[in-house]
Amino acid sequence: MSGIQRSVSSAFTIAEMEARKIRHDSTELWMRTVQPALWLLIFGEVFNAIRGLSPGGFSYMQYIAPGVLAQSVLFVAIFYGINIVWERDVGLLTKLLSTPSSRTSVVVGKALAAGVRGIFMGIMLFALALVIGVNLRFDPLDVAGVFLVVVLFAMCFSCLSMTLASFLKTRDRMMGIGQVITMPLFFASSAIYPISIMPGWLQVISKYNPLTYVVDAIRSMLLTGDYSGIPADTLVLLGTTVFFVFCASTMLKRLIE
Amino acid sequence: MTTTELVSPTQGSGERGAGTAVEVSNLTKVYLHGPTAVDAINFEVRVGEIFGLLGPNGAGKTTTIKMITTLTPPTSGSIKVFGVDAAREPQKVRQMLGFVPQAISVDGDLTGYENLLIFAKLFFVDREERNTRIRAALDLFGLEDRADDLVKHYSGGMMRRLEIAQALVNRPRLLFLDEPSIGLDPYSRKQVIDHIRQLNKEFGTTILVTTHDMAEADELCDRLAIMNLGKIAVSGAPRDLKRSVGGDILTVGISGSIPDALPGELGSVVSAETGTLKILAVDGERAIPRITDFLERNGVVVESVSLSRPTLEDVFMKYTRTSLQQEGSFRDARSARRSIARHGR
Repeated sequence: MSGIQRSVSSAFTIAEMEARKIRHDSTELWMRTVQPALWLLIFGEVFNAIRGLSPGGFSYMQYIAPGVLAQSVLFVAIFYGINIVWERDVGLLTKLLSTPSSRTSVVVGKALAAGVRGIFMGIMLFALALVIGVNLRFDPLDVAGVFLVVVLFAMCFSCLSMTLASFLKTRDRMMGIGQVITMPLFFASSAIYPISIMPGWLQVISKYNPLTYVVDAIRSMLLTGDYSGIPADTLVLLGTTVFFVFCASTMLKRLIE
Repeated sequence: MTTTELVSPTQGSGERGAGTAVEVSNLTKVYLHGPTAVDAINFEVRVGEIFGLLGPNGAGKTTTIKMITTLTPPTSGSIKVFGVDAAREPQKVRQMLGFVPQAISVDGDLTGYENLLIFAKLFFVDREERNTRIRAALDLFGLEDRADDLVKHYSGGMMRRLEIAQALVNRPRLLFLDEPSIGLDPYSRKQVIDHIRQLNKEFGTTILVTTHDMAEADELCDRLAIMNLGKIAVSGAPRDLKRSVGGDILTVGISGSIPDALPGELGSVVSAETGTLKILAVDGERAIPRITDFLERNGVVVESVSLSRPTLEDVFMKYTRTSLQQEGSFRDARSARRSIARHGR
């Protein structure tokens, strides 16, 4: 096997490890679906009643479904660093890093593992949308595209989280920083309201928020069918992901020194 | 500490070169805001031997292992593993070695079988061979009945055995074991020791083991190096090291004041605590009456005398002039037990 083949194989093995763990015990992920369900069922339902909010001619429920999906993946990803800190505490990370895998393939593997969790959240949200009758475009290609974006997005923010974990090193601090990051990202994006109704300063911030691009990509696939923004969205997401993969790969060793 | 420069009697026996598994030269690690953890050490591990790195908590053993396994870079010095430079080709080095860290590092959320499978994949074990080896390893280590149970329901001894079974599947040329028996009950400990020996005998795996348990090292190692305060105090085969202590150990129970000095021809005081005097004497049996006589003439009441052959503990005391920090080892055992408990959540 060549070096690249080996790296890819290692990364997928580490992702497989996560998938097997989820198969044994998915309690945590089930609990994580409660929050997006509440956003959709309560927040969405209530604001749906305000007829004034129907961006682009869609019902508010339709409008926020992609936003809630992105938010739930964001939560899974941003707290992924806690797993890494846990694995460091129990010695698993040391073990992983003593295998022939490169640092990058360990990080990419862990990021893919976060992606696996993201896919779980996606399936749950689609199921919920079907049950409560939110009308989305369930075209197979669109759904596949959404899953791709979800995986990439989970990779992006789990790598940010792993980078932070390399500096913060404890689970408590990771919980704290996760809270600090998620809500501002969420509110400064088009997840629950259109950017056009934001105050000017927030509109500027939203331009630099990766979540905006993710929500835009998912929304165009699930709702509008207008793919014109997708290349730019994907490019921004891809660039950010590569950057954070690099950061996490370089910093990860701090955790075991 | 003038004795640090003592060279082991077995070194320089002409086995260098092709027979060297690990060659460490002038290895130093200085932590950014800490002390010098490892201070310009030199040693070599020969192919096919069980080599022990001994010393109290904080001696630098774990740091040394972390540097050889490429987990942390050395501040200076060089490491060669089967001739491969660890700083230049870390991945190539890691492909050749297996590592069992001090804290139990199996994944409690996977089954025993899955733990072996995942790590076999990470070591690129041939697909055809993988399953056969995993089944054989589980069978050999007595884990086949529990192979499909989650590891968090295993006992501490079973977790350790599973970790060593990983080495059997991945067949590293060199296996590192960092305090392998710490926190285990005597029965599990014996099993673990037996398995380590078996790996060494049947597969010719070179083994580097760290421990603070002198008796265990004596039993297990072909050669060893004793570390203290980041330096290697002495190294050699256990038998030679014990012989180098130069006599027998007399433990004298006394009451009254401890004498200032002992005439050189009687022996030398290794340690003196209230009520107990440890004396190193050539030809111990004959020295007993002479020492008793001397002590009583100097107003010391001798209550008991016992004679023992030198142990590695005595070797350690001779070359470092300190006793092993017992509380340190208790702390280690406690943290290892905590780590087992964490996995078995």
